[in-house]
Amino acid sequence: MKAIAFTDVSKSYGNVLAVDGLDLAVEAGQTVALLGPNGAGKSTSINMLLGLLRPTRGRIEILGRLPEEAVSRGEIGAMTQSGELIPELTVGELVDFVRRLYPSPLGLDEILKTADLTDLVRRRAAKLSGGQAQRVRFALAIAGAPKLLVLDEPTAAMDVESRLRFWAGMRDYAAGGRTVLFATHYLEEADEHSDRVIVISGGRIVADGTAAQIKAGAGGHTVRFVLDGQSSTGLDALPGVSAVEISAGTATLRTADPDATVAALYRGTSLEVRELRITGADLEDAFLALTREP
Amino acid sequence: MPNYIKIEILRMLRNKRYIIFVVGFPLAFYLLYSSLWGAEADSNGVKGSLILMVSMAAYGALAASMMSTSVPWAQERQSGWLRQLQITPLPSWSIVVTKLITSLLLVLPSLVLVCLAAVLTQGVSLRAWQWAALLPIMWIGTVPFAALGLIIGSLLSADSAQPVAMICMLGLSFIGGLLIPVEVMSATVKSVAQVTPSFSYADMGWHLVAGTAPPLRDVATILVWAAVLGTVAVFAYRRATVRA
Repeated sequence: MKAIAFTDVSKSYGNVLAVDGLDLAVEAGQTVALLGPNGAGKSTSINMLLGLLRPTRGRIEILGRLPEEAVSRGEIGAMTQSGELIPELTVGELVDFVRRLYPSPLGLDEILKTADLTDLVRRRAAKLSGGQAQRVRFALAIAGAPKLLVLDEPTAAMDVESRLRFWAGMRDYAAGGRTVLFATHYLEEADEHSDRVIVISGGRIVADGTAAQIKAGAGGHTVRFVLDGQSSTGLDALPGVSAVEISAGTATLRTADPDATVAALYRGTSLEVRELRITGADLEDAFLALTREP
Repeated sequence: MPNYIKIEILRMLRNKRYIIFVVGFPLAFYLLYSSLWGAEADSNGVKGSLILMVSMAAYGALAASMMSTSVPWAQERQSGWLRQLQITPLPSWSIVVTKLITSLLLVLPSLVLVCLAAVLTQGVSLRAWQWAALLPIMWIGTVPFAALGLIIGSLLSADSAQPVAMICMLGLSFIGGLLIPVEVMSATVKSVAQVTPSFSYADMGWHLVAGTAPPLRDVATILVWAAVLGTVAVFAYRRATVRA
């Protein structure tokens, strides 16, 4: 049984198609990043997953059930994008209230520890910083010990410190064999914290795999050097090279095999190569290549 | 659900606006007015301290039931707290039931405090059956106002719910004769006042403290309002919480 299964799911608002025929299966125990630019359909997909929106077409199953059923059985915990807390209540009161709504929740102390809130337990929600409030919302999401944890741009309001603590908490939680799906537009987060990255753009999946696979799929590495006035003829024939760009006297080669490309550059050409730089393709390049408007 | 009711009560008791407007005002007004006019008797020989007790308790109860529903509910919808609850196993009917129960419980402090102040400072005394009828009627009689608060909170944004709830609350209090006696109103205003839920609500109390049973007309009026506002509230609530 899949933790998440989307079968040909579409959602339109009037004439606008926000999600377009999404097919997606996530195995239990995976940590999946849903990556995409704003307006790609991430939040719409997540809200359908949580039963807050109904798909216009297609079927969604969470652990073999409809989203609403999974929610009412306490199998899903989530942090949606905006969600303020009740300002007059303390962190401890909020977390304890939400955990008691679930059939078999985590212990209060364990939740507070995972979300790094133990010191803030008596503080009222009105007095929390943005990052602290986000950590409380994370605590509310994990409070019921859900099998599926869904996080929609969880680190949006966090400073660097909160972010580090947040991801540590998320990894602790996922380590118990639970499934985590998080949406982000921060590429590093997808790269560092997931087993699998699903890139969506225009309501469709444009790439799906590990971060390494997605990087490789988008042309691997780049080799850059200063060419000045020298001829660029033959650069595109070097081993591994898939594209050559010359701009402002600098040559940029995209290559799947940087070692072979560089070796051939020195041995096989008479070019004077200066300021050679090799960069691993980062996910950002891959992402831009994948989500570029056609 | 008891736990949900508990945190809803807790948050309102920590809300300064609730404490000042709903608990503080009626109590302070009672102490002020009764010291001025408490000894005067109306045409039926009922003392001002008694009439004012009902008026101020009614005002406090009306304010409590509207303040505890309208603005907090509008805020919860807008701020995403409702959404947070919708992705927990909490059944959605229990949200509205909790709001209603909470609103009823939050009526009690001002009701009890005003009556207590009347007994302690004005030496008001009623027969046991009068207390036994007055308190439950003034308590349960707030249902139409809680429904109105839920309607406001379901249909408006938090920013507009605030003034609208305030206007409704004060408007109903004035026209119902809670803040100024109906006797001083013109004949036209008076005839309008008699069909408002606030007048019927307080009028039941005024009759009880005068030692007579509440007129059927009042009971019928409040029941009709409760039914109408309750039905609208259910629709407004559904509309506000619908999942597209």
